[in-house]
Amino acid sequence: MLYHYIYLTVLIILAVMIFACLIRAVRGPRIADRLVAVNMMGTMVMVMIAVLALMLDEGYLVDVCLVYAMISFLAVVILSKVYIGIYEENRHTDNGSDQEGKGGISDGNF
Amino acid sequence: MGIFEWIRLIVGSAFLIGGLVIFFTELFGIFHFHYVLNRMHAAAMGDTLGIASCLIGLIIFSGLNFTSLKLLLIIIFLWFASPVSSHVLARLEVATNENLEAHCRVYTDLATLENAVVEEPSQAGAAPGAGSDLPAQEQEQNTKGGALS
Repeated sequence: MLYHYIYLTVLIILAVMIFACLIRAVRGPRIADRLVAVNMMGTMVMVMIAVLALMLDEGYLVDVCLVYAMISFLAVVILSKVYIGIYEENRHTDNGSDQEGKGGISDGNF
Repeated sequence: MGIFEWIRLIVGSAFLIGGLVIFFTELFGIFHFHYVLNRMHAAAMGDTLGIASCLIGLIIFSGLNFTSLKLLLIIIFLWFASPVSSHVLARLEVATNENLEAHCRVYTDLATLENAVVEEPSQAGAAPGAGSDLPAQEQEQNTKGGALS
């Protein structure tokens, strides 16, 4: 019963911290700020899932946590690569739209 | 509860609370710094040390079974994944920021950076904006003059 209260306290503290991260993700002036905040939220959600796995005594939730770690890492990498590609494409179309033609999304550092 | 149970409870709670403190420090750094490359420095700490401390506490709570092995696997995976994602995020910021010189000093190639470090070895990392206003040739001449005299 003591362990139950410990897990519950940790879950509540982590939930409050995730809301603070969400404020940063909404307010962040640049897109890298938002991605950093989303990455932090993913880390805290991983700890929450691991705590839940021990609190409910369900071992398969740790597998969910591992898959969440991989997908969170993949999301950050893919989103930054896609945004670099979009930025390069916009710059190409702004600078020389007549002589360059259209550089696709693969024209950037992709 | 026996004495072993109490030791396990205290040590595991200490690791768990330490991880929460690291997470709080990370959150403070995210709101304290003003630029994303500084914020990333604070955010990378929770990805490795914070989650490692929290999951070590949970491993101590869980005991020695297959669940704790999978928790250890998560820690090891994040040790590899977090520097890669930080590097990709920093590359995103450097590639898409128009006026990067307003926030930090930018050295376009390695020779300029080496000249700046040789010229002012103590202030190279301390004073912001000290060596960025000199062009590369001028710094090279200064370095040669210092070596001759």
